Amino acid sequence: MRRTHPLRSPGRRLIRSLTAVAATAGLLAAGLATLPQVAAEDAGNLYNTDVDIRMGQRYFERQCSRCHGFDAKGNDEVGAPDLTGSLRNASTDASIFNVIREGVSGTAMLPVAADVPDPTVWQLVAFINSLRYDPNSVTLEGDADSGLALFNGRAECNSCHMVDGRGGRLGPDLSRIGEDNTPEDLMLAMTNPHEQVAPRWWTLRVTGSDGIEREGFRMGEDSFGVRIMDVDENLWSFRKSEIESYERIEDSTMPSYEGRLSDDELDDLVAYLFSLRREVQPQ
Amino acid sequence: MITMKRSSIALLTSLSALSISSTLAQEDQFSTVITPAFSPITWERLVDARNEPENWLMYSGTLDSQRYSLLDQINVDNVDQLEMKWAYQIPVIDRAETVPLVVDGIMFITEAPSNVVAVDARTGREYWRYDHEMPDDLRICCGRNNRGVAILGETLFMSTLDAHLVAIDARTGNLLWDTEVARHDAGYSKTAAPLIVKDKVVTGIAGAEFGIRGFIDAYDPETGERVWRTYTIPGPGEFGNDTWSDDSWRTGGASTWITGSYDAELNQIYWGTGNPGPDWNGDVRLGDNLYSDSVLALDGDTGAIEWHFQFTPHDVHDYDAIQVPILADLEINGEQVPAMMWANRNGFYYTLNRATGQFLFGKPFASVTWAEGLDPVTGRPIRVAGMAPTYEGIMVSPPIVGATNWYSPAYSQDTELFYVTSFDGEQEFFKRDEDYEEGERFTGGGGRYTQPMDAFHSSIRAINPKTADIEWEFPIMPRSSAGITTTAGGLVLTGSADGYFFALDAESGRELWNISLGARVHAAPMTFAIDGEQFVTVASGNVVYTFGLRD
Ligand code: HEC
Ligand code: HEC
Repeated sequence: MRRTHPLRSPGRRLIRSLTAVAATAGLLAAGLATLPQVAAEDAGNLYNTDVDIRMGQRYFERQCSRCHGFDAKGNDEVGAPDLTGSLRNASTDASIFNVIREGVSGTAMLPVAADVPDPTVWQLVAFINSLRYDPNSVTLEGDADSGLALFNGRAECNSCHMVDGRGGRLGPDLSRIGEDNTPEDLMLAMTNPHEQVAPRWWTLRVTGSDGIEREGFRMGEDSFGVRIMDVDENLWSFRKSEIESYERIEDSTMPSYEGRLSDDELDDLVAYLFSLRREVQPQ
Repeated sequence: MITMKRSSIALLTSLSALSISSTLAQEDQFSTVITPAFSPITWERLVDARNEPENWLMYSGTLDSQRYSLLDQINVDNVDQLEMKWAYQIPVIDRAETVPLVVDGIMFITEAPSNVVAVDARTGREYWRYDHEMPDDLRICCGRNNRGVAILGETLFMSTLDAHLVAIDARTGNLLWDTEVARHDAGYSKTAAPLIVKDKVVTGIAGAEFGIRGFIDAYDPETGERVWRTYTIPGPGEFGNDTWSDDSWRTGGASTWITGSYDAELNQIYWGTGNPGPDWNGDVRLGDNLYSDSVLALDGDTGAIEWHFQFTPHDVHDYDAIQVPILADLEINGEQVPAMMWANRNGFYYTLNRATGQFLFGKPFASVTWAEGLDPVTGRPIRVAGMAPTYEGIMVSPPIVGATNWYSPAYSQDTELFYVTSFDGEQEFFKRDEDYEEGERFTGGGGRYTQPMDAFHSSIRAINPKTADIEWEFPIMPRSSAGITTTAGGLVLTGSADGYFFALDAESGRELWNISLGARVHAAPMTFAIDGEQFVTVASGNVVYTFGLRD
């Protein structure tokens, strides 16, 4: 998962809408604020101002981040889910409130301490909501169709990446990349690929006991062995005891497209990548 | 950070190693310990799978489903030297019914509910995994499991519990396509490994406990588009539709939840079909109920039915013909016969002519009380009167789980014997009146044991397919659901309900080796080799174990 970083070049006119979404959310909250707040079963969060969100964030960082991460993107090891996408157990403000208040029984997700006042829990709800937005309401500068044409055409992204079963194996499958990445994340992935490289995409350079060097993506690395896929897409497994040495390279093998593609082209690619979500099947 | 930086010393030694390697080519061979995986699996390789025994390329090993491997490094003389090489723990706790594939040193293991992992077959360590996203309104009759994948080219094909067929890139685990085979919310599900037939992926369906109408499908491996569908229950106007009273054919079941076989010369696909629905109340579906409890021979290109043989007409005991058809050419009474061997859930063993579907002979291989025998010409069972389930209950053998079931039998080309996991049990069958409702269980009754399971007799039986006689049996504790594999090393490899994995002498049934794995073996073993070293793999409980000879 790629963390959200502030855009490097401040002038980039990538996104019109994120602020617009935030503004809508503010309006919505203002509207809701006129409703009387009865119980958690009745939706409506009174604590939804920018200040509340910041308070919620502060509390989150202290009490929740050790499992869900500072970026709230989750942690596989403890099984704490990503809270920035759609939630499994909680679809409304009230249900998020209830999950925090009551926990999820039988899991590491414990209820908050009983002496934590409701307003603090509502601020957490506001913070979690601020991490999410409706992707359909985002309007981007770029044009997704032109992005698609670039992706499979001149930019040759498909030589490394698969989308819906077509493309290369030398980069992550991007079929659903729009689901848990903001347009900013996607722009950064192209302009600054070295910033965050998932361990799966590190390179391992293995020197065999025969002196031959083999290099490839890190498909697995454990206490006693390493497994790689080389550029010819061969899979290799080595026991550490049977090799001379190996080296880990944590840079991305993806070139930066900053300067290689025009700002317009990058915007088009972002629009295309952002559109890559699994279609929800009509029931 | 624990990055291992290559030191200059390491560099020096490796360079010198390189420079002498050309002069010491012999030694170099030993230092090159690995080969890369893997080369694409063509249809020709699948047809000829027996001749690359280092790989296990499909669920039943070969298209004839004999589960007979030519590997003989592990054999009757040294099988007691087996030791565990590695174990792979399936993360989602359920029971493992997987038969892994091995392709040039990579093992593909399916997991509950519908996931697949690629591991290094030498160490069991992961390359990649695919976790199938599952809807939360699944209807599952019989456990969340998956029995295996099929491979063609560089693509794996897997059935999923939500009744989809998915294609997965074998090098990366990327999802290539995801096709809905049937609606899971109407009770359909999929657990069996598909079968590759030439340029198509052939696959069946489960859900007969929910009143579905069964079928066998073929899909385009590139696109996931359906090429043909053959219903296992004929529609109006088709031959056999009149073997169902009224509209009962619509919800008649006849599912196809185990993998079939293929004969390349005859270009015929063979597939077993499940029970008619509702299972135990036949009053609402009078007639023979074609093609439930049958084997169908389909044209390898079009899926058209070429012949059928119904083992249990108008079944009221849930005697699915969900067994893997085993094909071999046998010399019977001086004549070369393209045979099909079949030990059925209904308690009878059959030898058929697979070219024509003609019944040759058959007899019980386990305890049977519902029928006296088989008609010597047609093979149709001669029923004992009054054995249909009643409202009060009536004792019948075999019980619902059958004299055998879906677990793979095997055949050995050396002994020319057929091996099957069998159960001699009995149960009270009763019926109920029930209306069909889409997506709900539709069984019309059930069964109950009146004795403890340990009172019954289970065994591995070796049947002579030329006579249907039982040559030997090896008793085990009831009730095993393990499949069987044979090897040119003279071995019968299988497991038991009480958690043993063991090897018998294929000739005599003599016990050669066993190890307690501690949990039920639900799957069939398989065997493969890497760089000339043979291994055997079996799943027990939630773990996949791999054994090899002591170093
Ligand atoms: C000890 C680790 C841990 C801590 C601390 C923790 N969580 Fe969780 N959280 C989890 C786990 C594990 C789950 C998943 C539970 C499940 O399996 O459904 C979860 C689930 C959730 C969910 C539901 C997500 C969904 O997709 O439905 C929310 C919301 C949530 N946590 C919020 C919080 C908040 C807010 C805090 C701080 C007050 C917090 N969590 C602290 C481990 C933790
Ligand atoms: C030489 C192979 C290669 C090419 C060409 C390439 N990429 Fe990548 N890409 C990678 C690799 C490897 C990664 C994973 C490492 C990383 O995050 O940088 C990656 C990561 C990404 C990610 C982030 C994925 C994630 O899961 O977070 C995106 C988005 C992306 N690439 C888009 C593109 C686009 C758009 C193009 C064409 C303009 C492109 N890539 C061209 C190899 C490539």
